[in-house]
Amino acid sequence: MDSIGLALDQNPSGASDDFPALLRRRGLLPAVPAQTGMAPTADPAWIPTQATTILAFKFQGGVLVAGDRRATSGHTVVYDRADKVLEIDRHSIMAIAGVPATAWEMARVLEHSFQFFRRTQLQEMSVDGKVRALSKLLRDNFGFVLQGVGIVVPIFATYDSGADPSARLYFYDAMGAQFEVADYAATGSGSPAVRGILYYENNWGKKPLVKLTEDEAVTVALRALDTAAESDTATGGVDRNAKIFPVIKIVSRGGITTLPEKRIGALFKRTVA
Amino acid sequence: MIEEPYRWVEAIANRAEYIETQLAAGSPIAAVGYRDGILFVTLGRGRQKVFEIYDRIAMGAIGHPGDIERLRMAAIELASAEGFTRSAADVSLRRLAHYSLSPVLKTAFEQVYGAPYLARILFAEIGAKQESDLFLRLEYDGAIATNSANFEQTRQDFGAISGTRQSTELMEKFLQAEHSAGATFERAMKIALDAWTVGHLALGDGGVKELPARDKILSERKDRLRTAGVEAAVLERDDKIALRYRGLSATEIRSALGD
Repeated sequence: MDSIGLALDQNPSGASDDFPALLRRRGLLPAVPAQTGMAPTADPAWIPTQATTILAFKFQGGVLVAGDRRATSGHTVVYDRADKVLEIDRHSIMAIAGVPATAWEMARVLEHSFQFFRRTQLQEMSVDGKVRALSKLLRDNFGFVLQGVGIVVPIFATYDSGADPSARLYFYDAMGAQFEVADYAATGSGSPAVRGILYYENNWGKKPLVKLTEDEAVTVALRALDTAAESDTATGGVDRNAKIFPVIKIVSRGGITTLPEKRIGALFKRTVA
Repeated sequence: MIEEPYRWVEAIANRAEYIETQLAAGSPIAAVGYRDGILFVTLGRGRQKVFEIYDRIAMGAIGHPGDIERLRMAAIELASAEGFTRSAADVSLRRLAHYSLSPVLKTAFEQVYGAPYLARILFAEIGAKQESDLFLRLEYDGAIATNSANFEQTRQDFGAISGTRQSTELMEKFLQAEHSAGATFERAMKIALDAWTVGHLALGDGGVKELPARDKILSERKDRLRTAGVEAAVLERDDKIALRYRGLSATEIRSALGD
């Protein structure tokens, strides 16, 4: 373990550094290499990719977040059990499209940031603070994005147990702008198809998304991911032979539940396959 | 003034005396290991004294709030950076105290031109099994005492700090006699509160020198509970959850005490 200097950090403002600042001070965050002055899109071979499909929508029981499990590199499938729906704390989920190395590191920084805040400041970080923390990480990462590596476009779902308890759902762009959504969000290469389905279901389906029961919500999510996989090579959808199902998690007042594969499998068999 | 060695020794002795005087009024803190975790208990009127450091580590401290705060922040930063770069399993109280905090405290204490830390800290780390629970007392001069077995004591399932050495020793004596590792939560709460009471009775010039009688402890405890609030927190022995620290609510404390 590191040794600390004799003069421990003074904390005159009463608020400590946030966790990324601590990492930076200790040289634990990668610094973005200096810009070469080249226009980022000068290399025509470089196309920004977010090869995956992530979706999230509000339903009766909170927010459902689902992601396929395929990881690709160019046209190659490198992994078929990737987990892109990550638990950050007891009530928050970050689901990622983009470069896994950056995204997982970002999730790790975020997870530690929330805990670091709670431990040092002796209070839970507010939902707005959490949403902003992710935004800041994306902003800090944008130098890498401009250089053609490390793009991450996440969705953030959490439960606000403040004055007006409710599930909250946000999507981000690669620069860190956050958008709160009322109904649903989707990101990744397969998202256009998913967005179409969710829009249709929400407006002309049997009932709006927010009124769906848990089983109905999971069915919609599975069908949407299967549709995305139908045309998008980078989306795994449901692997019927190997029985690999999407990761589905639900954020509600009581915390996060991960749906067991068995249950997803049974629902898939009954309502999708 | 202190170029000569004996002057330095004198200065250090004065400084130790000064710090001891400053700490002497500190309200005791008891930590006991029981079946399902480790319980920290103290009584106070306001200022929080028991804190979460990392997933499996907590601390209780007496001393100057500013110094406690600096040490607490340093401990959290060290543990968080370690847990982030390696893993939560690599964060260890033993390393944190021995390699990082103790040398800093010792240096600050011995550099007589600078200010020492006015703090005495009790750390605890919950283990996978009760046998590996660690209780560690860190003094203002960097000295460390743990609950592990050594040539003069058997392994203990508790730790205690108080304003004076006499008070701390009496609390330990009490816990040695009364506490058993297999205690339930309710039992642990009562024992820890009694240990606090023993420590409290031993404070000050007129403090008791021997373990007080049972009814004396009980009546004193009752008296104190009327004017001060109980602060308690647990580290839970549940390997299914990552974050083991939990501050106890007033309701939980009252129901454990049976009133």
